[in-house]
Amino acid sequence: MNRYEGKKVVVIGGTSGIGLATAKMLADGGGRVLVTGRSQAGLDSTQKALGGNGIAVSSDARSLADIDTLAARVKSEFDSFDLLFVNAGFSMFAPLANVDEASFDEMINLNAKGPFFAVQKLSPLISRGGSVVFTTSTANVKGMPMVAAYGGAKAALRSFARTFAAELLPAGIRVNAVSPGPTDTPIIGKAFPDKAMADHLTGEMRQANPMKRFGTPEEVAKAVLFLAFDATFTTGFELAVDGGLSQL
Amino acid sequence: MDQYQGKTAVILGGTSGIGLATAKMLVERGARVLVTGRSQAGLESTKAELGESALVVSSDAGSLKDIDALAERAKDAFGALDLLFLNAGAAHFAPFEQTTEAGYDEMFDVNAKGAFFTVQKLAPLINRGGTVIFTTAISNAKGMPMFAAAGATKAATRSFVRTFAAGLLPQGIRVNAVSPGPIDTPNWGKAFPDKDMAAQLTGQLSDGNPMKRLGAAEEVAKAVLFLTFDATYTTGAEIPVDGGQSQI
Repeated sequence: MNRYEGKKVVVIGGTSGIGLATAKMLADGGGRVLVTGRSQAGLDSTQKALGGNGIAVSSDARSLADIDTLAARVKSEFDSFDLLFVNAGFSMFAPLANVDEASFDEMINLNAKGPFFAVQKLSPLISRGGSVVFTTSTANVKGMPMVAAYGGAKAALRSFARTFAAELLPAGIRVNAVSPGPTDTPIIGKAFPDKAMADHLTGEMRQANPMKRFGTPEEVAKAVLFLAFDATFTTGFELAVDGGLSQL
Repeated sequence: MDQYQGKTAVILGGTSGIGLATAKMLVERGARVLVTGRSQAGLESTKAELGESALVVSSDAGSLKDIDALAERAKDAFGALDLLFLNAGAAHFAPFEQTTEAGYDEMFDVNAKGAFFTVQKLAPLINRGGTVIFTTAISNAKGMPMFAAAGATKAATRSFVRTFAAGLLPQGIRVNAVSPGPIDTPNWGKAFPDKDMAAQLTGQLSDGNPMKRLGAAEEVAKAVLFLTFDATYTTGAEIPVDGGQSQI
């Protein structure tokens, strides 16, 4: 299949879950994908999974120095490219009373500040007609206990989608977001190493979802690729992939 | 191309513009479609264009009697449906001081009331995993002079998307909308028979759009097909195809 033949894509946070599913779909379709991540094991398995169409690069999505280095690497590998998918993100769960300054800062740095500067540094390399896609979250429009800082950071990111969309109009670059609901990826396992607690939480999330199930990373990936390559008259928009959780 | 082999669709308002573009894309990829319209000339040229995978049916989208007949016809022709696309819309644009009772009633009868009862009568034919798509419009979310009644009907439709999405969850049927901004279709010519006024309005619409152009009917059609076949974890949502006009 050569649906994405000739396309060049950068996925920040592409070694698991939604980012990896998107990178795989692109590589399977003939696209070339540069993915970033932090764990060496993750990078190695991703490089293997993507084969010759993939480049796995170690990069900390919170670090402005790493973002600068990444921009230089992208320029040398791709020169210009078509899609910047800013997917790196992490959720910390804590009631408001228990949130400390360090975790608040971490949520903002990873989920809002890093993406802001990633777009600043990388968008000059995006071709006319290309696009940026953010991964936001249903948490940014709902009042969900335990994820106040995460939800706030994702709401900031959703706002960036609008303002960057307006700013990048002259460059012919669209900016949109996918907003996942509960999705079957390692994110919950990472946030809750205690398996019983993780299972309890996932059970609750499944019950609370209108479709009574989690989404798959592939369902989110399809929405990313629709926004990236087919939604040529859509910008500043956030597409919910959440079983209806934010819409009904 | 046989991506949609075996799929069936009913498109209300499928003889021009967005509806026709969607019908064409479906038929080109192997689906069978039943399209409705009111003008005999429109129905005949549509049949000629789409060929044997298409049925054309004369039907008034504002008539409950016609809707009943359409449900029978769809059942006879296809048995079950994968897509019900409510694209028929009446468009009378006028400053609200000059809106007539007849114009007001027609828009509500076709865009809101007809759409409501069409879903009521045809949803029982839709397969599990199938979908209903409404064409709303950005006028439902913005304050646009000239669109007072039209915008309100589309806001009603946007609300139906949410309530029907919730109501059809047990049947596994998703309900979403595409919300076009200014699109290059014959609808404008119909609403403004004065060619100079139509040209002036088209110029104003392009200038007022963030992307400084009208959208193409195919761009809306792609969003319809994404929602129908790929957006399996999305319901109650509305995708704007409007150059960013409702988002920025």
